[in-house]
Amino acid sequence: MGSIEGIITGFQTAFNIESILFVMLGVFAGTIIGMLPGLGPISAIAVMIPMTFGMDPSVALIMMAGVYYGAIFGGSTSAILLNAPGVSGTVATAFDGYPMAQQGKAGKALAIAAISSFVGGTVSVILLMLLAPILSSVAISFGPPAYFALMVLGLTAIASLSEGSTIKALISAVAGFMVVTIGIDPQSGTQRYTFGNVNLLEGLDFLVIALGLFALAEVCTLVLKRKDQSFRNLHNIGSLKLTKKDFKEMSGPMSRQSFLGFLIGVLPGAGATIASFIAYISEKKIAKNPEEFGKGSVKGLAAPETANNAATSGAFVPLLSLGIPGSGTTAVMLGAFLVLGVQPGPMLMTERPEIFWGVIASMYIGNIFLLILNLPLIPYFAKVLKIPRPLLISLVIIFSMIGVYAVSFNTFDLYMLLLFGVIGFIMRLFAFPAPPFILAFILGGMLEQSLRQSLTISNGDLMIFLTNPISSALLILSLLSFVFPLIGQIRKRKG
Amino acid sequence: MLKTVNKKVSLVLLAIGTGYLILAYQIPSYPYTQIDADVIPKTLGYLLIFLSVLLFISKDSETEEQKARRNIPKKEVGMLLVVAGLILLYIILLEIIGFVLVTAVFIYSCSRFLGYKSHITNGVVSISLPVLMYLMFTELLKISLPSGILPF
Repeated sequence: MGSIEGIITGFQTAFNIESILFVMLGVFAGTIIGMLPGLGPISAIAVMIPMTFGMDPSVALIMMAGVYYGAIFGGSTSAILLNAPGVSGTVATAFDGYPMAQQGKAGKALAIAAISSFVGGTVSVILLMLLAPILSSVAISFGPPAYFALMVLGLTAIASLSEGSTIKALISAVAGFMVVTIGIDPQSGTQRYTFGNVNLLEGLDFLVIALGLFALAEVCTLVLKRKDQSFRNLHNIGSLKLTKKDFKEMSGPMSRQSFLGFLIGVLPGAGATIASFIAYISEKKIAKNPEEFGKGSVKGLAAPETANNAATSGAFVPLLSLGIPGSGTTAVMLGAFLVLGVQPGPMLMTERPEIFWGVIASMYIGNIFLLILNLPLIPYFAKVLKIPRPLLISLVIIFSMIGVYAVSFNTFDLYMLLLFGVIGFIMRLFAFPAPPFILAFILGGMLEQSLRQSLTISNGDLMIFLTNPISSALLILSLLSFVFPLIGQIRKRKG
Repeated sequence: MLKTVNKKVSLVLLAIGTGYLILAYQIPSYPYTQIDADVIPKTLGYLLIFLSVLLFISKDSETEEQKARRNIPKKEVGMLLVVAGLILLYIILLEIIGFVLVTAVFIYSCSRFLGYKSHITNGVVSISLPVLMYLMFTELLKISLPSGILPF
């Protein structure tokens, strides 16, 4: 099926009352959850998963996609209004968004954010529509060695690109992989690390890990910061109107960063965070008046906002066409696919075209909703930020618990959730990044399977990874992803 | 010898890696497979040990901000422990007393404990939210939550 026929199928799936309603619901819920301090797309997707039970998988996934970009947008709102970016992807948004809000132009900043998100999102969905089928048709010939190498690249890339120490990021990834070995080994039926506990036979559910490491760990941080009153100084939103001059200034960054952001989003390991920083830095470099950046520049706000939304759709390329997430957030998204019984990957486009294209088509609709829902409703949404912290903490705890309980109906999983909340908090204290952990947890099973399949094919000969051209190229790339940052560090020290 | 935090952390990780590895060697073998179930666990165990050693010898590059993050006053640690205790109680009582009641009591007491002073709002939220969620899950989504001692 070509792109054009495909997208028609997609619009047929996405353009009915039910789907549109659920996209709206997803965007709405995503925006509100994303706005809450510390809760980003990962928590938003994880909390919403129980809602999708019993729904048609294509509608459910369309809604989850809405939650995803809604949450990214919601994060920008708190970054602009409170200088409290909910997720790292919106840190760069606060650089110019917050100064603008302080100057009493919060409404203008929110409008710029909404419009550049819309442009970034829409342009990149077009690119996604063109690129994903091509990658799918290439990936269909990939054997287990290539898949193995691809996942190794994904993991090393996220580790080498995460903030702070690369060693700590790798340790985090290894720990995530270790946790996934708990349970019955699917290939041999051997029990591993179950300690005779029946509840561990099937391994741990990914929701336990996602909500524990992200939402509950954030609860601990919120408890410590509960007396923070910054949200009380919420500025008056002011007018949302933009002038012709504003549009003119935005057009440059928007057109450039839609493409750049998309490309960065496609790359494994890099995502909205890196895309938004690169966008900010590159626009500052080419700007005629770089000194305005950081003081409420229109360009400085439009660039990261365009880029982080473009990267969000870009990240769907490897997820949909290879079945391999490149970031923590898309890893949780993959979890949502699997919960609904859909396996993303090269076969998805041919076997379940209504889902493949439906998700893509829904992004056009979702982006439009983001714009028309959020622009007029922003002043009301912003009230969410005023929820008193103690109440917010209790609610986040309850939502996480019910999210897990509604999947497993087992209190054992709730104890595990609490345990991973504690682990997540300790990881934060000692600066171990959590995204590599969740990515390794989700990829671990597939990685082990492809490794064992490859070695079964080759009778245990490791050379199979080097003789296969795709896997050897990918493995060299993953090696390089380490060598380069290392060289950079050594240079820095010498300098 | 254990001057930096990294060194202490790496020793803990080393212990975890070793424990994991010891258990990996106890995984029963399965004769009919090329690559057995213990290959990945053993690799991961050695990898963690190797990385812990790297962490031990690497230079501590923590910023002051990161160090400050660990400086939690004793009173706050107590707060965290009480919240964890409340969560534990919630889990224990969830299936015995039922979702609606336990959740209502949890939201009210946890918010109150963390310093939320408005009794009325707190009361309204802690009663209406569990009831709404319960109805949504059981009626709309057909997911049954524990009803406990309540008759419905």
